[in-house]
Amino acid sequence: MGLLSREAWAQRLGAFRASPSAYMAAPEGEDLGRDLLSDLRSEKLSEQTKVSMLALSLEYPAQLWPDAPAAEAAATSLLDTLVLLPPRPSALRRPLLLAATTALVTGGVLGPTSGASLRLLPLLLGLASGGDLGRGFGPSSEQRPLQATACECLRELESCKPGLLGGCLGLLRGLLGQEGPVAPVQPLSLLLALALRNTLVIQARARASLQGLLTVRAPPPGGGPWNWTLAQEGDAHLQPQAPSWPAAEEECGLSALEPSPEEARELRAAVAQLLDTSYLLTPVAQAQLLWLLGWALRGLRGQPPVLFKPQLVRLLGTAQLALLHAVLALKAAFGEALFTAQDEALLLRRLTLAAQHPALPLPAHLFYLHCLLSFPENCPLGPAGEEAAPLLLEPQLCRGLLPNLLHDPLALLARLHLLCLLCAEDEQKEEKGQAQSPCHYLQELLAGLQQRAALTGGPRALATLCFQASYLVALCLAGHRTVLAPLTHGLAQLYRARPALAPHFVDLLDRVAPELGEPLRVVLRQEVVSRPGGGEALRWHLQMLAKVADRDAQSATLGFLQAAAAHCTDWGLQQALLRVCRALLRVGVGGGLADLLQALARQLEDPDGRDHARLYYVLLSHLSGPKLGVALGPSLAAPALTSSLVAENQGFATALMVQEAPAPIRLSVGPQRAEGPVPVLQLQVEVLEPVYSLELRFRVEGQLYAPLGAVHVPCLCPGRPARPLLLPLQPQRPAPAQLDIRALYTKSTGLTCYTHLPPLPVKFADLFLPFPKPPEGARLGFFEELWDSCLPKGTESRLWCPLGPQGLEALVSRHLEPFVVVARPPTSYHIAIRLPPDSKLLLRLEAAQADGVPVVLRTDAWAVLPLVGDYLRGLSAAV
Amino acid sequence: MEHSFVMQCIADPKPSARRYPTVEKRAKVFNGTSYVPIPEDGPFLKSLLFELRLLDEDRDFMESRDSCSRINKTSVYGLKVGGEELWPVVAFLKNGIVYACVPLVEQTLSPRPALISISAISQGFELLFGIQDFLYSSQKIDTELNTKLSQLPDLLLQACPFGTLLDANLQNSLDSISFASVTHPQKQPAWKAGTYKGKPQVSIAITEKVKSMQYDKQDIADTWQVVGTVTCKCDLEGIMPNVTISLSLPTNGSPLQDILVHPCVTSLDSAILTSSSIDAMDDSAFSGPYKFPFTPPLESFNLCYYTSQVPVPPILGFYQMKEEEVQLKITVNLKLHESVKNNFKFCEAHIPFYNRGPITHVEYKVSFGQLEVFREKSLLIWIIGQKFPKSMEISLSGTVTFGAKSHEKQPFDHICIGGTAYLKLHFRILDYTLTGCYADQHSVQVFASGKPKISTHRKLISSDYYIWNSKAPAPVTYGSLLL
Repeated sequence: MGLLSREAWAQRLGAFRASPSAYMAAPEGEDLGRDLLSDLRSEKLSEQTKVSMLALSLEYPAQLWPDAPAAEAAATSLLDTLVLLPPRPSALRRPLLLAATTALVTGGVLGPTSGASLRLLPLLLGLASGGDLGRGFGPSSEQRPLQATACECLRELESCKPGLLGGCLGLLRGLLGQEGPVAPVQPLSLLLALALRNTLVIQARARASLQGLLTVRAPPPGGGPWNWTLAQEGDAHLQPQAPSWPAAEEECGLSALEPSPEEARELRAAVAQLLDTSYLLTPVAQAQLLWLLGWALRGLRGQPPVLFKPQLVRLLGTAQLALLHAVLALKAAFGEALFTAQDEALLLRRLTLAAQHPALPLPAHLFYLHCLLSFPENCPLGPAGEEAAPLLLEPQLCRGLLPNLLHDPLALLARLHLLCLLCAEDEQKEEKGQAQSPCHYLQELLAGLQQRAALTGGPRALATLCFQASYLVALCLAGHRTVLAPLTHGLAQLYRARPALAPHFVDLLDRVAPELGEPLRVVLRQEVVSRPGGGEALRWHLQMLAKVADRDAQSATLGFLQAAAAHCTDWGLQQALLRVCRALLRVGVGGGLADLLQALARQLEDPDGRDHARLYYVLLSHLSGPKLGVALGPSLAAPALTSSLVAENQGFATALMVQEAPAPIRLSVGPQRAEGPVPVLQLQVEVLEPVYSLELRFRVEGQLYAPLGAVHVPCLCPGRPARPLLLPLQPQRPAPAQLDIRALYTKSTGLTCYTHLPPLPVKFADLFLPFPKPPEGARLGFFEELWDSCLPKGTESRLWCPLGPQGLEALVSRHLEPFVVVARPPTSYHIAIRLPPDSKLLLRLEAAQADGVPVVLRTDAWAVLPLVGDYLRGLSAAV
Repeated sequence: MEHSFVMQCIADPKPSARRYPTVEKRAKVFNGTSYVPIPEDGPFLKSLLFELRLLDEDRDFMESRDSCSRINKTSVYGLKVGGEELWPVVAFLKNGIVYACVPLVEQTLSPRPALISISAISQGFELLFGIQDFLYSSQKIDTELNTKLSQLPDLLLQACPFGTLLDANLQNSLDSISFASVTHPQKQPAWKAGTYKGKPQVSIAITEKVKSMQYDKQDIADTWQVVGTVTCKCDLEGIMPNVTISLSLPTNGSPLQDILVHPCVTSLDSAILTSSSIDAMDDSAFSGPYKFPFTPPLESFNLCYYTSQVPVPPILGFYQMKEEEVQLKITVNLKLHESVKNNFKFCEAHIPFYNRGPITHVEYKVSFGQLEVFREKSLLIWIIGQKFPKSMEISLSGTVTFGAKSHEKQPFDHICIGGTAYLKLHFRILDYTLTGCYADQHSVQVFASGKPKISTHRKLISSDYYIWNSKAPAPVTYGSLLL
């Protein structure tokens, strides 16, 4: 894009600011960063326009120059522009320095390898030390503001890269101590304090000494290379920290630093120098200085915090938020070493006073009140991190800090918290019930809040405030019956006066502990069910009842619902009514509810309402109590959805429909049974978790077997041995098969699950059945008869059955025992096997040799021949 | 250190905002996994206005706003931003402008550190108070507000270039731009942009505001309090002129308490530091003179604030209001205390009627002054004028009838329900303080070249001066119950 006019830039900057992301996503965003840099040098644009361009680069450098190389190039270009400025006063020098600093930091390029960094740092240090930088830094009138700006830039760089200025401490001290025409005190003081703190932290972590860093005054730059050593150590340590606050005592670890007596003296001198001139700083800068120095000296040996003492009286008298906060930070950092018990009491008084002083604004009051309840006591008693009234804060002192109805909501809640803390203490002391006791006052206040919340047409904020106060009281005074009982009563009255607050009541019941929740639930239920069923407030009553209904007072509840049903004319009311029914179903209300649901299923106008009533009726009459609870309970599947209808559907989906789940069941085939009229598979079952109402369904591909019946087991528990399951098979053909198995079961949570188990094989031998045994003498004849009957329809075959080392006798007894008809051990056996549905297999094993036995077989089913071959060959391997 | 600062006039949808990306960069490191980036201005503002209940969607219960457990006890909020919570956001509404900033927390945000342990919280408040003071320091607010708003970006570049606040006094930053060319042989305070050249003069103004809650009831004590502000403008040559101002009380004056001083005050007597309204009063209370040594800034500033408990309220009164069928019967009695200067700039009693229809008919009798009736506003104003009569006691009685309530026009109030009602006194007395406090011209010491002209001013103003209907319940403070 070519050179833009002033108007064009104004428009462009405006469009960018309106939505930076949208602007940068559009085509015109692409060149913005580049155009901005080049147009800064344009002579046609006014300085004002250029300042606004630079202001943009100060706020959005990451959008303009998104990566490190771009940021480096931008910083270089900004520095070039700075150098090229004509030597007359210009409003651009300051923002150019700020912009180059910002670009380096946000681009993450500040470091020894960045050319721009190596140019910027000496430039800034030169400016800060008031050196003559020659032409380009033009008029002397600008020197002082630029000196301050350079200090600010260095401070920002040091903040982002701690240790960067570790080598310049001596130089900075020298500048600050200069007599005569002097550098601006505030920027130098803050820069020195920050660099000092960072150096102490880095050296303590590295367990190194201060190495004379405080005293070396030789300016490092001016051509010499910048010292990055400390910064590189520091860089790794830019990590979360809790400045100056006791909770972080352990991580602070400055005690690791052991300065030599001389170093300790220099350090003390540097801190004293900073504190002595601190009155020249603005209040906010003084506060920053105190935080930094407090942090720097905390835990450091040989550095007594009395250095701060002369500042304290002056600071305690002010109303300035930042200063009083800094004093509190010093209090937290040094405790008794800086504040005696009397000092502590005075500080507490000043804080109490500031928290209510009519000349201070509300946000300051509230912050002071927070500080009061988090006050860093010398000898804290309670648990750390919890708001509590400090020991020295006597109830007498708090009189002016108690809430009243005229307070703003924030102030009312903050002061109410204090009042609750006082009541908690008060309860132990007195039970006189005086009019001015804090508990009595609290009750009056709550009554006032309830009265305001009850105003019909009043703003919701008033109602919200009343419930927030109730919640806070229930939280702080959970065990105090004397407070909670009237609160419960008052809330019930509020509901009577303004049932439209039902959503607030539901919310409160959801959040308070049972100390308030349980009694409140009871009175609210009474409040609702004691009314006639109609009226404008019906929808609120129904909403309320859905929350508070339970097994108690069933008949009153059902009576109310029956009366209400007649008034539920629109869909919304019907749904609200049904929600109450649903809540009753969940808690296990039975008898009367069934009648009501049946009535609703007939009576409601809306078909959806009727359907739901019918559904609930069906659920009530078919599901057991626990299952019903699960089915209607909060849906696990859709916790994020707030629509009750969707949640309901989801709830049913999880609870009533079958869920697919990974199998907690393992099945295996047990030993062969070989008895009875049909082959029966013995299944061993193991479970990993309790499983109820298990149903196993089996299926075989093709039509090898007749359909298989399901197997049912009422209950299985892990670790408890289960009886084997028997699965009768009805082969259509004598053939092995794969069993496809599905399991359906209920978990202990009540959910019904479905799972697909790994298939199980039905082996050929699993189908074998013996013939009925003839009497002892007739066996050979019986066998011969069978043998002859096979031909001519069947077939005869001869096989070689290899034998293992145990020989034929062992093989037969192991695998074929039930089917042996004639046995002449150890060499000869006649075996007859029934193959369902109606085939037979006859084997003659005769004249066994050491390594095998010849087998003659006959069968009337041709198709089994290959199976028999495989079977016999496999036997020896199986022994 | 602030990540960002946003300010918004309710009437103007476009916020003035400033971001500090180098601070944001540090926040990312310090906050670690708990870091939440600051959204763009639009979404930030929307979320902020929602949190402050300033979006006009109050009608239905919304859990994210109305839930009883979302309790804020300070002006520091967590904003819901795209499923995450941006915290801490320091924010408040003042004079129709929302002020907000996001202070840097130099540690992880979970668990949330206590506000007291975060140094940037008070700095954030100072920034926002500073901007607010700058915008409202002038009398001609409407015309100047836009000019001042347009100056803000430049001023922030000056006073807060990298997100670390250098000076909360933006006027000072503005001045420092114009004073920039001066070179200084001596150490110059950062809170003083330049030096004054011209005729030396010191002006001291004491303004006392008196507030009161009067109930006219047996079991509830009336309360009243004086709050004083001492404002100075010191036009003196030299970089660090020293000035000491002493505030004195007459023999029976009421001691000053709860004294808060400007940071330019260099030392404080411990009696000043410890005299506090928290403690029970006794005769030994320090009663001055109250010496304040200081080196003044260039601009006009509040040297100190104090409170005081005077023995009696300047005007004691009662207000009785009773509902009689369709009309209200009212009786008001006011009595000026004899010790108070009976010479008002003005004195009025405002009698509002809330949660009712417009006034349709008034019948009344006043012993003194005149009554103005604002029918549509349902308000009576009793103009008492410059002086109470010799008896020092005046009264008003009458009946007021109201029309039907129409919700939009008549004022709503959530305190004045049923018979609960008040009248509010507005008055001003020049050259007078209720405590008797004064700055003696001769007691002002100035260590600077030339003898300055010293001028002093005093005035008493009423502020929140309520007299409650004694025939109905009224809101009470804890102090009122301690009879």
